[in-house]
Amino acid sequence: MSFITQVFTLAVFAVFVNNFVLSKFLGLCPYIGVSKKIDSALGMGMAVIFVMTMASTFTWLIQEYLLLPYHLEYLQTIAFILTIASLVQFVEMVIQKTAPALYKSLGVFLPLITTNCAVLGVSILNIQEGYNFLGAILNGLFSGTGFTLVLLLMAGLRERLEKSEVPEAMKGMPIAFVIAGCMALAFLGFSGLNF
Amino acid sequence: MSYFIKLGLVLLIITAIASGILAYVNDLTKDKIAENKVKAEELARIEVLPGTAKFDKQSVILPPVQAEPNPLKKQVAEGPLEFVYYSGLDTEGNLTGYTFVASQYGYSSEVKTMVGVDTAMNIIKIKVIEQAETPGLGANAATDVFRQRFEKKQISELKVDKDGGEIVSLTGATITSRAVTNSIAAGLQILTDAVGKEEER
Amino acid sequence: MRLFQEFTKGFIKENPVFIMALGLCPTLAVTSSVQNAIGMGLAATFVLVCSNIFISLLKGLIPGKIRIPCFIVVIASFVTIVDMVMYAYTPEIHKSLGLFIPLIVVNCIILGRAEAFASKNGVIPSIMDGLGMGLGFTLALIVIASIREILGAGQWLGMNVMPAAYIKSPMLIAILAPGAFIIMGLLMGLINQMKKKQGA
Repeated sequence: MSFITQVFTLAVFAVFVNNFVLSKFLGLCPYIGVSKKIDSALGMGMAVIFVMTMASTFTWLIQEYLLLPYHLEYLQTIAFILTIASLVQFVEMVIQKTAPALYKSLGVFLPLITTNCAVLGVSILNIQEGYNFLGAILNGLFSGTGFTLVLLLMAGLRERLEKSEVPEAMKGMPIAFVIAGCMALAFLGFSGLNF
Repeated sequence: MSYFIKLGLVLLIITAIASGILAYVNDLTKDKIAENKVKAEELARIEVLPGTAKFDKQSVILPPVQAEPNPLKKQVAEGPLEFVYYSGLDTEGNLTGYTFVASQYGYSSEVKTMVGVDTAMNIIKIKVIEQAETPGLGANAATDVFRQRFEKKQISELKVDKDGGEIVSLTGATITSRAVTNSIAAGLQILTDAVGKEEER
Repeated sequence: MRLFQEFTKGFIKENPVFIMALGLCPTLAVTSSVQNAIGMGLAATFVLVCSNIFISLLKGLIPGKIRIPCFIVVIASFVTIVDMVMYAYTPEIHKSLGLFIPLIVVNCIILGRAEAFASKNGVIPSIMDGLGMGLGFTLALIVIASIREILGAGQWLGMNVMPAAYIKSPMLIAILAPGAFIIMGLLMGLINQMKKKQGA
């Protein structure tokens, strides 16, 4: 297969077939928590795409040039989470200094991302699946895109839901979970895809 | 400024202590982890080839596969691929059969199966030794019901029913069933060739 | 008496999963079988108790500004220990929990308890709090996993509990991803309803 086909396959798998939220159960807290409004969902989604791509890049480099050569694979968890935490902090400072407008829209979401398991998840999966540098970056980018896609879909549904009659006890989080289940059912259809 | 140095120092000390403890625990557990892997294979080997007292490790070099490399994945270690199999001998030194590990990616994980065959290359027993497929679906490949479907089968019958073979696949888990069946068939083919060549010599 | 309350509050009143909606990822991901649920619950409980102990011991020594990174280092160390020990002694559960063992690090329950409780309280209450919250988490996992395994496979902890005809063609959806979300939503709705009845 040519390079383009491989990239395309990776994209389809990361966005649809192995969607982080709906088939891998990663990043559920922001998925349920920040999906009440489309605006904030979009902000969160963009922040996640950005941080997941950056985190994939840096954790891959750390694994390849620091942990592997010195046989420190058992420090993977600790090294990755510290990298992600400091990365998020750093990105926050840089954006605040250089792009105040962007900081206004993304700023509140950045600290939340440190404990988003999708970021640590993609970093570890990149290593487990044996991606090379380019593959890891692309996987981070596409997985983040998949996350943002379902986050936006969910936000759209929930804005509509505000206007509909939901039984009192099911309001808020419970109905959000049931909707997520229906979305997961639709996404399950992608798992038959074979390239 | 000195305040920030102090902050950095505290974090450094905590991380250093943590790494030290982890290095110690890693040292304690790593032998056990390696040992577990070997032991699990050994037990499975005895189970799939009953009546065997001694296993002889043998291997053949496989012809290099001309697969196009995936530009997004790390290149796997180079060098010739090796197919490892064990021939079993009973207490009197008679050949009881062969065992090998078949492995293929199923639905969500690599599925590894220990296979025991008799000298006529009919399957005696199989045992799934490693899998992380969907519980209740693909994970059922490790159940006795599924294992029994392979007993006394020959290489020509090793295809799932959907592909026109003799193996009844698991409900809702054709992909896992196919992975187990096809990996066994491929391994058995290599084994048959390898044993045939040895006899010619 | 107060200690006992710290212990039991995590079971129902402040249940981390059903009431506070924390740690959702592992809750849905590992509950496809009761065995995995117990493994995950106990692993998280161990990390929670140990990190609570250490953080309440170290609370005077850690400067406020870098407390979060320090907490994360402490938690990540215990997670790695659990990871290695499980790999060595229960390799099968380790394999099926897979990625979700290292992800205990970012389980909001653990960081949340470190920040909200252990960094402000003594060692003994922190142990009680960690134990209670951890067991509450385990309990919630077992409840969800029981429903999913019984409906989706006709089994409980690997034992057949439904008639043979059901096991032959069970409600597979319950064990797949969509079932996890739907069952979770319905359970939360049920708890809301019960709370409302009690309050009225």
